[in-house]
Amino acid sequence: MARLTIDNLRKAFAGTVAVDDFSLDVADGELVCLLGPSGSGKSTVLRMIGGFEQPSSGAIRIDGQDVTRLSPERRPTGMVFQSHALWSHMNVFNNIAFGLKLRRLSRAEIRDKVEHALELVGLAGYGTRQTFQLSGGQQQRVALARSLVLEPKILLLDEPFASLDQHLRERLREEVRDIQQRLGITTLFVTHGQDEALAMADRIVVLRNGQCEQADAPDVVYRNPQTQFVAGFIGQMNFISASVEGGRFLHPDFMLPVNVPDGPAVLAVRPEALDLASAQADQGAIVLRSTDFGSHIMVDLQLRDGTRLKAMTAPDQRWQKRASVHLNVGQFALYRDNHLLTIGQPVGGSEQAPEVEPALSV
Amino acid sequence: MIAGFSTTSGRFDWTGFIFAILLAIVIAVPLLVVFTWAFTEVWRYPSVIPQKFGLRFWDQTLSRADVWEALSISLRLSATVTFLSALICLPAAYAFARMKFPGRDLFFLSFLASHAFPKFGLLVAIASIFLQLNLIATFWGVVLIQLVGTLMLMIWIPVAAFQAVDRRMEEAARDVGAGPLRVFWSITLPQAFPTIFAAVLLTFVSTFYETEGAWLIGAPQIRTMPVLMINFINNQVVIQYGAVLSVILWVPSFIALMFARRVIGTGAFAKGFGA
Amino acid sequence: MGRGLKGLLLIAIPVFLVGWLIIYPIFAAILSTLFFDGPEGLRFSTASYQFFISDPYSRANLALTLWTTGMCAVLLLIVGLPIALYLRFSTNRFADLVQSLAIFPMFVPSIILSYALIRTIGPNGTVDILLNAVGLPKIKSPYLTPWGPVIGLVWDHLPLTVLMLTAGLGSISNSAIEAARDVGAGPLRVFWHIILPRMGNSILVTVSFTILGIFSAFTLPYVLGPASPEMMGPFMLRTFNALYDPLNAKTQAVISFAFCLFFGIFYVWSIARNQKGQSR
Repeated sequence: MARLTIDNLRKAFAGTVAVDDFSLDVADGELVCLLGPSGSGKSTVLRMIGGFEQPSSGAIRIDGQDVTRLSPERRPTGMVFQSHALWSHMNVFNNIAFGLKLRRLSRAEIRDKVEHALELVGLAGYGTRQTFQLSGGQQQRVALARSLVLEPKILLLDEPFASLDQHLRERLREEVRDIQQRLGITTLFVTHGQDEALAMADRIVVLRNGQCEQADAPDVVYRNPQTQFVAGFIGQMNFISASVEGGRFLHPDFMLPVNVPDGPAVLAVRPEALDLASAQADQGAIVLRSTDFGSHIMVDLQLRDGTRLKAMTAPDQRWQKRASVHLNVGQFALYRDNHLLTIGQPVGGSEQAPEVEPALSV
Repeated sequence: MIAGFSTTSGRFDWTGFIFAILLAIVIAVPLLVVFTWAFTEVWRYPSVIPQKFGLRFWDQTLSRADVWEALSISLRLSATVTFLSALICLPAAYAFARMKFPGRDLFFLSFLASHAFPKFGLLVAIASIFLQLNLIATFWGVVLIQLVGTLMLMIWIPVAAFQAVDRRMEEAARDVGAGPLRVFWSITLPQAFPTIFAAVLLTFVSTFYETEGAWLIGAPQIRTMPVLMINFINNQVVIQYGAVLSVILWVPSFIALMFARRVIGTGAFAKGFGA
Repeated sequence: MGRGLKGLLLIAIPVFLVGWLIIYPIFAAILSTLFFDGPEGLRFSTASYQFFISDPYSRANLALTLWTTGMCAVLLLIVGLPIALYLRFSTNRFADLVQSLAIFPMFVPSIILSYALIRTIGPNGTVDILLNAVGLPKIKSPYLTPWGPVIGLVWDHLPLTVLMLTAGLGSISNSAIEAARDVGAGPLRVFWHIILPRMGNSILVTVSFTILGIFSAFTLPYVLGPASPEMMGPFMLRTFNALYDPLNAKTQAVISFAFCLFFGIFYVWSIARNQKGQSR
């Protein structure tokens, strides 16, 4: 039904570039998450699609039709705002009906559509309530219904759950995902929470400084981060800086054979890809602390050059404070200047620690 | 006084009690005296209570032609000034709150000029301009001078009201298909309405009671209620006329008090004066 | 740019009125009291100012105005500050009552107040009646003395003083005061070391606003004050209306401007600074 194409979008505010050469294709019915730290330009992209900001250059097309210069009221987009932005001088029914009234629908039709929209978001019978009588979650649902009732081609959500508490956020997240799937509506979702992105999106677009760092399915973004920034932004990640010489990543505490050109490099390893083995005193890394999370134990380590790491170990292993340990590196990635050099398993490709041991001299 | 710092809820609030009593005496007694006089027929010193209550002086005051004429002029003046002020100030306030244009901050601050000079001095300066324009002692001359006095109130308070409307509410309305004018009419104005209504009401009331400008520019042809009241105080031997007129005069203020309390209690109002 | 033009159009009339009926008259008043049409073109002369300075009656009026303004400002601070402090730091039901009472005079027009005060503190007024009833001698009535306007003006300006001071106190957080109390400061020390330094500015704004309002007050001094000397407000009206002497009235106005210049500038400056702080 609806396909969104963004070409070389650029937005400069007085001196600073908020969005720089951003391109994206969103397929019909796809839910794409724009993820990034504050100031990364993700909200600006969304607001340009909605028509609330004018791009400095570039084009936005919906189903091939250029909407770049259209004002918000002429675009087939529906936006749900962060603070829900309900009109507090209208009750729930009128909030949802306002857009329909502007379209001069008959009263009966408006009533049907509003009731249907309220049902859709699980608020049937709430039409006569005043907006301030609703809880935060209910207000956000009304805002969603207000957008959906107009059957927009593209649904835009700007950090819609930011003002809600954790528990409610998780529930609404699922509800929104559910509704989106049922309606098959093309959706763009802005968030700075990686959980939200991983849980909801068909595709995650990671933004930094107005540029796209990576756009992939959640599992790809998690397992194959294309830049050091993405690696660090999504999930927990250990970074170890050292240099590559003669096909080996050389760190004072260990080394790892890698097939990349010589030069400085950053090794990225997830906590769950780090295995620990006891070492003799004064050798290897030192355990600073271990925290039991029930399903696993998180061990904080310090290397001799001061680098701090986290390792996730099975709950049956106990690590004493100040104990010395060897590191067994599983899946890793190597970055230089933020760009990926290689993703790999240690030589031998096995996850068995002993086979890696020759590579690790501590 | 500083016992107020410790907001221990259990003890009786003597500080507040004493403030309340003192203020009540100082503020209420003069007003009560006027009310009593208005319904008194005979009250000779040194009796604490009037010798004879009655409504005789209401009849007499209300049958005076000059009272009705002054009331009519006052109402026409206030209505005209308030209407004109709203007509020119509200669009300007919206522009100040929502648009960007060169010199915006400077123009906005220029309205302070009416409060930054001693008022009567300003009135005399304006009056000497009016002297050359033959506006002295005319209805529209008084309208103009009172209009200038309302500008700051009618711009600064509505600007704050418009600015307080969440922009995202307006954007949400654009999003569902409302054009800019429709957004203003259906979203911005209703949201800002309570504060703007209070500003309009205050403008009406303050114009109704404006004395200096009306006298300086209007005298002797244009005689408003407050000017008539000064005449009564200076030249009228019958005390009750003034008292009855005071009670009648106070009605608009009482209505304003009912409506504007909510707005004035908040800091927004004081901020309008720069606190 | 089109939007910029639209904005300018929307503000055009009010801004024009400010220019025409405030800025222009002020400059016109200053210039027309200093430059006169002579036979050989414009002539500079300070004659009207010299007359004001040499005239003992004008000087006495100015002195009375300065005294009244100063006295009112001091009294308003003495009365208003404790009320504002109480309102800021109290939360019980008396606070609402005190606030309502303190704001109430805002809704009493000064003309009604003048009349009420004549009946209350004037000769054979309510105060006299009550004193007589308990067997005390009459007071010397402040009506038609310089104290009459002072009482009226303080009464009239109390609400705005309290509101502005309370707004100023609002910027001092509870935690700042609790922290001071925590390290052992008593109420007086808290007031002196924590509150006063932080509200210095809002006190000055309040005082400036009060002075600008009182310096050329008209109704209350005219009705309650002495006939001679009189305050600048009634003096200007009489010069303009009764003596048909616009030149000297304007001279008196310009002299009023000069005396209030500092407070006017400070008032505008501090509001401009607040505005900047809010908009960014």
